[in-house]
Amino acid sequence: MFDYTVITNNIGLLWQGLLMTLYFTVITIGAGMLIGLFIGLIQLSTFKPLVILGQVYVEFFRNIPLLVTLLWVYYAFPIFAGINVTKFWAGFIGLSCYVGSFYAEILRAGVQSVDPGQTDAATAIGMSYGQRMRRIILPQAFRKMIPPLAGQSIIQMKNTTLLSMITVPDLLYQASYISSFTYRPMEVYTAVGVIFLIILVPLTLLSRKLEKSGSLK
Amino acid sequence: MSASDAIAREAGAVTDKSDKPVLRLDGICLKFGDKRVLNGIDLSVVEGEVVVLIGASGSGKTSLLRCINLLNVPTSGSIVIDDETLFDRQADGKGAQIPAQEVNRIRSKTGMVFQQFNLFPHMTALENVMEGPVIVKKEPKEQARQKALQLLDLMGLAQHVEKYPRQLSGGQQQRVAIARAMAMQPKVMLFDEPTSALDPELVGEVMKAMVELARSGMTMVIVTHELGFAFEVADRVVFLDQGLVAEQGPPAEVLLHPEHPRLKSFVGRFHESADLLRPFLEAREAEKAC
Repeated sequence: MFDYTVITNNIGLLWQGLLMTLYFTVITIGAGMLIGLFIGLIQLSTFKPLVILGQVYVEFFRNIPLLVTLLWVYYAFPIFAGINVTKFWAGFIGLSCYVGSFYAEILRAGVQSVDPGQTDAATAIGMSYGQRMRRIILPQAFRKMIPPLAGQSIIQMKNTTLLSMITVPDLLYQASYISSFTYRPMEVYTAVGVIFLIILVPLTLLSRKLEKSGSLK
Repeated sequence: MSASDAIAREAGAVTDKSDKPVLRLDGICLKFGDKRVLNGIDLSVVEGEVVVLIGASGSGKTSLLRCINLLNVPTSGSIVIDDETLFDRQADGKGAQIPAQEVNRIRSKTGMVFQQFNLFPHMTALENVMEGPVIVKKEPKEQARQKALQLLDLMGLAQHVEKYPRQLSGGQQQRVAIARAMAMQPKVMLFDEPTSALDPELVGEVMKAMVELARSGMTMVIVTHELGFAFEVADRVVFLDQGLVAEQGPPAEVLLHPEHPRLKSFVGRFHESADLLRPFLEAREAEKAC
């Protein structure tokens, strides 16, 4: 029936895959946050062309399936732009741009949900735009942004599984590799599911806790 | 040393009223889209003067107040604060371009107190008051802290300096807001209906703080519906109607002998509500006498 030895015998491969998945999760969330901050602030500016540019970015990456974006960066970039990208860079760029568009929207909504009276008060004591954002608006916005940011980041970890489609050896790629020579896909993919559960459930609980302590402040 | 003297010293204000205008508005026009809110307002406020703006809702008094520190940017007109031009744009679009940095600097010569307090909720009362001096004026933290503690003490909040806004009553929050504005040592204080959002029993403590401030020689421009306060404290009452100054003068003149028909009905409503209360007050007096 359920053959555990398939997993125990190949635990090394799964471990390598997990490290790759975690690695991509962390670096694309980091880069995505920077992109999101940049695009989010662009959308919040008063200069119309910048606002539109930000919106175009967000709608572009949010509405194209991630798989298409990844394949496009990996296969089409070299053909049309003549730039050769390794699969690692392609995965990094595709995933970061994708999650960045969601973060940008979260940031924009978070900032816009801060009472405009706060901007008035900060402006009235002579603060510049940068000082207002850094000292008054963003700290308040970030608190409201914790739950959606955590949610999006959890989705991001699951989205990294699409990397296997451009042959990055992540957890899912290793799983399909293992099942290709053991012929036991059920055990292997169940193990992958359990690994994701073990990592993401505690993170979800942590974000709930943060949300509570954030709303108290 | 009385509290008001101390505030005067803090603010660096001059106790004697002089003729030097601290604030001069010329031909302020303001449009929101097609809606004309202000239609050319001239107003000059001298050092130590307390000016109260009154008018029906929609008459433009809050908009005018927000124009003084450019929270609303006028369509045209000019604003001079303490001999420095904050804004200058003629009707034909010509005028001096003032860089944003300068605008922020000159703007901080005004202190503003809002109807909804607008304290920074993620900071304690003390941090709220220190924020301007430390971040905008780059004062050393310890110095700003001492000054902030002094101001909060003057506002009767010595016991609440470490509390967050949500732990304070509306009246206390508004007094923190006054201290926050005062910490920038403004030349003129702007009050936008400072007691309108307060429970009735909390209005008094904020009024008291404002009276002290006025007695200390602070220059103040106040939008309020508290005509009693205007009568007691104002040097001049300005009645706005349809975005224009319809009538102005000493409070006794404007409030007791209004000439403009709209001002008559505006003040009339105030007298009416006072009249409505009279029987109750008299009944209470009678009860006391028994």
